[in-house]
Amino acid sequence: MELVIALTLGLIFGVGVHQMLRRNVIRSAMGLVLVSNAVNLFLIHCGAYRGITPPYTTIEGQSSDPLPQALVLTAIVIGMGGFSFVLAMLYVFALRDRTGDMANVSQLKH
Amino acid sequence: MQNASLLSSLLFCLFGTAWAALYAWAPVRRFVSVQAWGWMLAAWSGLAAATLFYVGWGPAGLMQSDGAVMRSSWPWAPGMGMAFTIHIDGLSLLMGLLVTGIGALVFGYAGHYMAAKEGVWRFFLYLALFQVSMLGLVLAGDLFMLFVFWELTTVTSYLLIAYDTRDAAARHGAFKAMVVTAGGGVALLLGFIIISMIVGSSDLAAILSSGEAVRGHGLYVAALVLVAIGAFTKSAQVPFYSWLPDGMTAPTPASAYLHSATMVKAGVYLLARLNPAMGFTDAWFYLLTCVGMATMLLGAIIGLRATDLKALLAASTISQLGALTMLAGQSTPGAYKALAVGLLAHGLYKSALFMVAGIVDHETGTRDLRRLGGLARAMPATLAVGVIAGLSMAGLPPLFGYLAKDALIASATHPSLPTPVAWIMAAAVVLSGACIAAQAGILVWDTFIAKPRGPRPHGHDPSWGMLLGPGIPAALSIAVALLALPAASRFASAAASAAYGAPVGAALTLWKGLDVNKALGLLAMGGGLAVFLGRRLVSRGIPKGREVLLPGLLGAMDGAALRTVRTQTGMLHTYLLVILCAGAAAVVWHGLPSAPSLSALRWDEPWPALRIAGCVLAGAAALAMVFMKKDIHAILALGATGLGVSLLFLVQPAPDVALVMIVADVLTIVILILALQRIPAVCRLEADRLDYVESRSAYRRDGMIAVAAGLLFAFIALVVLIDRPRDSVTAAWYALNAKAAAGASDIVGAILIDFRALDTLIEIAVFALAGVGVYTLMRYASPAAGDADTPSPGEATTDLLHTELVRLLAKGILPLAITVAATHVIYGHAQPGDGFTAGVILTLAVAFRHVAFGWERSRNSKAWMRPMPLVALGLSLAIASASISYIQTGSFFGYVDYGAAIGLPLPMDAALSSSFIFELSIALAVLGGGTLVIDTLSRPRDAIAAEGRPKTWNS
Repeated sequence: MELVIALTLGLIFGVGVHQMLRRNVIRSAMGLVLVSNAVNLFLIHCGAYRGITPPYTTIEGQSSDPLPQALVLTAIVIGMGGFSFVLAMLYVFALRDRTGDMANVSQLKH
Repeated sequence: MQNASLLSSLLFCLFGTAWAALYAWAPVRRFVSVQAWGWMLAAWSGLAAATLFYVGWGPAGLMQSDGAVMRSSWPWAPGMGMAFTIHIDGLSLLMGLLVTGIGALVFGYAGHYMAAKEGVWRFFLYLALFQVSMLGLVLAGDLFMLFVFWELTTVTSYLLIAYDTRDAAARHGAFKAMVVTAGGGVALLLGFIIISMIVGSSDLAAILSSGEAVRGHGLYVAALVLVAIGAFTKSAQVPFYSWLPDGMTAPTPASAYLHSATMVKAGVYLLARLNPAMGFTDAWFYLLTCVGMATMLLGAIIGLRATDLKALLAASTISQLGALTMLAGQSTPGAYKALAVGLLAHGLYKSALFMVAGIVDHETGTRDLRRLGGLARAMPATLAVGVIAGLSMAGLPPLFGYLAKDALIASATHPSLPTPVAWIMAAAVVLSGACIAAQAGILVWDTFIAKPRGPRPHGHDPSWGMLLGPGIPAALSIAVALLALPAASRFASAAASAAYGAPVGAALTLWKGLDVNKALGLLAMGGGLAVFLGRRLVSRGIPKGREVLLPGLLGAMDGAALRTVRTQTGMLHTYLLVILCAGAAAVVWHGLPSAPSLSALRWDEPWPALRIAGCVLAGAAALAMVFMKKDIHAILALGATGLGVSLLFLVQPAPDVALVMIVADVLTIVILILALQRIPAVCRLEADRLDYVESRSAYRRDGMIAVAAGLLFAFIALVVLIDRPRDSVTAAWYALNAKAAAGASDIVGAILIDFRALDTLIEIAVFALAGVGVYTLMRYASPAAGDADTPSPGEATTDLLHTELVRLLAKGILPLAITVAATHVIYGHAQPGDGFTAGVILTLAVAFRHVAFGWERSRNSKAWMRPMPLVALGLSLAIASASISYIQTGSFFGYVDYGAAIGLPLPMDAALSSSFIFELSIALAVLGGGTLVIDTLSRPRDAIAAEGRPKTWNS
């Protein structure tokens, strides 16, 4: 099963990188979402693997690892906030240069 | 030992600062004149001076015994061995009295001088802030405390020089002063760090008593040079002096106060202060005397060329500072006696002369010596003050300046000096003495007595209040020498003893009979007369120097910046490539793990079908994005990927994360679609065409990079996954404590709202700030970039959504969402879901309403739902609740069950506890941040156009 998960992670990450490198502003932003999805998924899989019940004190049994879950939960929300900011920034850049083409966004260095 | 009375002078100055700030309030300005306010501030300053006077001459004052020190210490950063220590000895007292006494006069004078200017409160405030900083500097008993105040004087000096912000010269002068003195400040800090490392303490008393250790240490010379650079920059020594003449663009009261009487003396003060620890070595002697002598001569000579009153005064100040530095370097009792007398005498006569120059400027409208002249009849009182102060500057008996010059000559001819040095020093002192005397003559003569070359300037004596400023120090210049010589000797010897490190007898006398020193003094006088008479000839002979240091430095910085910019392509594409490659390189450099054996793979996890389904959904949807031509399709595929990921979260099993992932995924899609609507389709299609059609090779290259990145990531993931632990180390502890410590049976929730609550607080703050950032960008930057006149998008349309059914649903969506969110907040600690989920669900409801009703109507019908207050409410509620918990339990974010405490009957699993309040504030903050994003992104263009560009804080 690790092999399947790892390959999926690699696929999502690779597609994310590919999308990030696109000229289209929207695609570039979407690539960021994919990359952060892949990383979150990776992080949650870093925890202990033996768990068949959700981590609740009221539920008996071998519970899954709660710590990476809490961290990933935080990461998802922060990732969303960061993503909307990046998107707004890309949008303003694109607007200023009257283009949807990242390669034309030429004033990043001023 | 804590003696609060030692703080009182600093406190009075702080009160004065608050009082100065009060003048910003318009009603106060209407009822109290600027002059009256100035004198009120003078009174605060006077009180500070009075308390210092009491410290010196009171019943148990410093003057009672030689070498007395009064100290008092408050804890500041005990972990770093730093304390807020007030250290008052003779030297601090002398400087402190100069700071507060001349400060009082300058405040009173400034009220008159600045009366007609606008924004005077700003000037008062800066001046008062400077006074606090300067007083703190001279009273500091800890090196780092001294450094903080030192930097504060730099900042306030910057503000004062650039007071007239519309004057380019003022801004330039302020910038220069800041760059030079703050640069010196960095060196000073390094020097202080070395000293405190050597001594093992930053306490002044400890440092002063461990001179042997400091001087014997291998790093002594480094520390000496660094500290000296700091002192030289502050006290305008060669080669850093040029900021002082340029800083004369400050209003004259500030020049009188900062740039002659007090701040520029800080460097000399510091050297004198540290003399017991660092002095008495050859390195100290040669460094300080050479630089000081050069500065003394330079200031004396360039002053002869000056045609501006303040430039002339600045030059003579530089010369005097050089002389003081030279004296500090000699480390003899006589030199420190001369230093103490010189500090005092110069402070008195130079501030008086600056204020006289200010009066002349104020009355006649010019400070140009070529246009001034013949003012004696119109301004007799000003003339009298100017003559007294000028005579003191020239060093004529029986004025205070004479005593200073006498002591200076005496120390220059001190028998302990090596022979060639003694000759050079005596010659330099006589030469500069002659030039300074001539400068004083030029100053008084050309302003008041000489015939003006052009039309006679108009002007008359100012009000007595304004004359008081220069009048009192001028009067003191006579009175001290004639009437209070023993007291002055006592005072000077106390200061000199503190700087020398052992008692110094400083009996000041006006005349003891002719000896070598008196002869040299007479020689200087005669030379001064000669230079004065031949001043036209002399000034023509002085070459005009060209400044190289600062322009060169700035030029080098500009060049480096230019070279750095050249490495920047400005293209996001390149940056991403660099980041990815660097990331991959870091992994490879760290060492790739060896390939795991596939036999270690496990296939026995529960729900294999669901896992594989999740993987297939997420992976296939992601892959599909690559082949989708239309952006809207790709966005939907992205949503599907997110759902696949949440399925994988669910089978962890991690229901909380899966829930948040689903709502966050949906919100991300909504945000993307909103953004898609704003970017014209033509632009996107053009970008795609360039990407896919015109640059196939680049496309293929990107593809290869992506494959490589994906493989690398998959490999790392595989290694980590195979090696991951079987059982969690922490889970058992959390399971045991969640209910007891956080009142939550949901362990993930307990971690979020209790065990790692600070993380969560920071996280919601970041999320809310991201929302504010989006708002700022969209509200301020995008109209500036021409949002309103960008053509409408052609692809997405919302007409389909504007049906009656949708509106009916939208009407019910908000109450429904609020109910769901409330459930999440109330039961979040017992069941899946939490404040984040609640906040995002509410945000989605708001987004839906925007779509159904249109932005304007949706916002207007729910006027209470304003994002900014929600953000503020959420964050402050969280902090307030955590603080109350701190009071209750002694730990920030500690768990308190208020419901149980007051016996509130609540349904099962619901609790009115600190956890509940935190969940609520998380929901509010997330709602606020999310709504900010949704609101600004869905804001229609006509609304932007209608409102026009919003006001910024600059305009």
